[in-house]
Amino acid sequence: MKRLALLALFATSLHAQTQIRPEITKQQAATIVRIAVPRPETTLPLDAIEAPFFGPLTRDLAASGVFAIAPIPPNIPPNADLAKAAGADFVLALRITPDAQDDIVEARLVDPTGATQFGRRYRGTPAALSRMAHMLANDLVREMTGKTGIFLSQIAFASNRSGYYEIWLMDWDGSNQRQITNHRALAILPSWSPDNDRMVYTLFSGGRSEMYIINRRGGGRIHVQTGVGLNVSATFSPMSNDIAFVGSIAGNPDIYVVRDDSTNLRRLTTSYSIESTPEWSPNGRQISFTSGRSGTPQIYLMDAEGTNVQRLSFEGEWNDDATWSPSGEEVAYTSRVNGRFQIRIANVITRQSRIIAGEGSNEQPAWSPDGRWIAFQSNRSGRCQIFRMRTDGTDPSQLTFAGENKEPDWSKKSE
Amino acid sequence: MIETMNKVVKGFCVGLIVIAAALVPACRSKKAPPAPKVAPTETTASVPNVPTVATTTETRVTNPPDFVQTQTTPQVTVEQLPTDVEELNRVAEQRGYLQDAFYAYDESTLTPDAQAALTASATWLKQNSQYNMLIEGHCDERGTEQYNLALGDRRANSAKEYIVALGIDANRIRTVSYGEERPFDPGHDEAAWAKNRRAHLVIVGK
Repeated sequence: MKRLALLALFATSLHAQTQIRPEITKQQAATIVRIAVPRPETTLPLDAIEAPFFGPLTRDLAASGVFAIAPIPPNIPPNADLAKAAGADFVLALRITPDAQDDIVEARLVDPTGATQFGRRYRGTPAALSRMAHMLANDLVREMTGKTGIFLSQIAFASNRSGYYEIWLMDWDGSNQRQITNHRALAILPSWSPDNDRMVYTLFSGGRSEMYIINRRGGGRIHVQTGVGLNVSATFSPMSNDIAFVGSIAGNPDIYVVRDDSTNLRRLTTSYSIESTPEWSPNGRQISFTSGRSGTPQIYLMDAEGTNVQRLSFEGEWNDDATWSPSGEEVAYTSRVNGRFQIRIANVITRQSRIIAGEGSNEQPAWSPDGRWIAFQSNRSGRCQIFRMRTDGTDPSQLTFAGENKEPDWSKKSE
Repeated sequence: MIETMNKVVKGFCVGLIVIAAALVPACRSKKAPPAPKVAPTETTASVPNVPTVATTTETRVTNPPDFVQTQTTPQVTVEQLPTDVEELNRVAEQRGYLQDAFYAYDESTLTPDAQAALTASATWLKQNSQYNMLIEGHCDERGTEQYNLALGDRRANSAKEYIVALGIDANRIRTVSYGEERPFDPGHDEAAWAKNRRAHLVIVGK
C-alpha cells in the first residue's frame, strides 16, 4: 500500500518532468490498409526485378503493420477495377523502365474510384533496385501514417563467424550482412549515433578494454580516452556529443559520461554497488541503468545529471539491458523469470510491465526506429542468434545463422 | 703403503665429491625456506669422517670445490623459468606458482580458498619481482553480458587488492574484465559455471 502511494508520487513527478505528449500517435490510430500489389509492368526479364525489387517490396509492406496485401484475381489490369475485384483499398501500380544505365521505377496508389492518391518515381542503377524498393515502402508507410517506415534501417551486432567477435551490420530484414571491423581480437557492444553516421563499441586488446568510434563517412577509428577502466556499454546521447558508458576505478563500476573528443569526463553514479548498462531516454533528459544496490541487478532511472534516481523494475531476480522505446514511454529490458531470461517491456510512468519473448533464453532487446519491433538475442535455435519480433511478441523471425551473434542495436532512424 | 694411502685418500676425496654431488640436487629440489638451504653444520657433519682416515701420515685433504661453491652461491633458489611468456604462464599454472581465485555466484568477495590461492600467488610474485601481472575477471553465463562485464571488473580488482595488501606493488598489476566472453569451460552446468567464475592471473612480461 505504501509502495503504491510512493509509485503514484513518482508517476506524477515523472510525468511533469518528461512531458509525455498525451495525444494518440497517428501510428496507433491507423487501421490496416488493404493493398493489391501486382507485378510491375516492365520490358525487363522477370528475374531481373523479382529478387532485387518485388520480393523486398512485398516483404516490407507485409511487415509494415500498416498494409495488408490482398490476393489478386487473375487477368485484371492494375487499375480501379483490380482494387474493386481484390476488395482492396488501393492498387499499387508499378512500372519499371530501363533508361540508359538506369532503371526508372514509377509507383502510383490507385483507389477504387480510379483516383491516384500517391505517385512517385525513383531512378537508379539495377544494383540500387532493392534500395528503391525499401524507399518506396518507406514512402508508402509515411503516406499512411505520417512516419517513415523502417525499411532502410540497419541492425548492428557482434558476430564471431569470422573466428573473432567483430562488429557486423545487416539490413532490417537480415539481408546484406557485412563485417565492419577487422581487429581479430574481441570487439563487442556496438551502439549507433543518433544521426546513424557513427558507431561506438568496445575493443578488448592487449589486456585492455577501450571504446572506439567509427564513422561511415571515413576518418578512421577514434579511440575515446577516458582514463578509467572497463569502458563498456557505450551509448551516444541523442542530444549532444556525450557518450554514456560504464567505467571503473579500483573495481567500482559506475555510470560515466565523456565527450566524444575524450574530454569532460563526469561520473554520474557514486554507489559502491555495481552499476552498468546506461541508456539515454530519447529526449536525452534521463538515463536508465542497472544497479546491484538492492542486492540483485535491477533497472533504475535517473536524470541525465545523475540526480533523482528511481527504481523501475521490481519483478524478476536479475534485470539488465534496459533500452527506451522511441516514444520514451516504455523501456524494454532483459528479465530473468524462473531461471530463464525473457524480454520485458515496462511503462515508464505506470511501472506496469509485460513479458513478450517466447522460447529459449532471450536477452539484449533493441527497438526498431518506429517502435513496432524488438530485435534481441536468443539461444532458442541452439547457439546465440539474433531474432526480431513485434512488440507484442508475434511474428518472430531469426535474422542470423552463421556463428554466434549477439548484442543487436537498431539504427535510430531509417535514413 | 703411501701409495695405497694415497689411493685411499683419493678414494675418499672422490667419495666426498660424490656425496657433494648427491647433495646438490637434494638442495635444489628443496624449495622453501630458501636461505638456510645448506646450513654450515652440514659441512662439518660430513667432515668428522676425515680424522679416522687421517691418523696416518698423509693428511692432504683438499676441499671439494663443487661443495664449497654450492655453499657460497645461492644457486639453489634460482629456477630455470621459460622466457616465452605463454610457456611461462603454463609452467606457473602447472607448478601452482600462480593460482586463480574462484567466486560464488554473483559475488566478488574472496572465499578462504580464494584467499589461500592469492596468498600463494603473492608469495611467488614477491620472489619474482621482475614480472608484471594481468588479472582477468570472468563470470559464468547465467547472468547478463553487460552486468557481468562490471561484475568481472569487481572480481579482478578484489583479487588485485588482496595481492597488493600482501605487499605486491600495485603498479605491477593491471586488471581487465571479460565478463562471460571467454569461459574456461564451455559447459552449461554448475561444474562449468564454477570454473568460469574466477580471477585469472596472467604474467604479461617483465
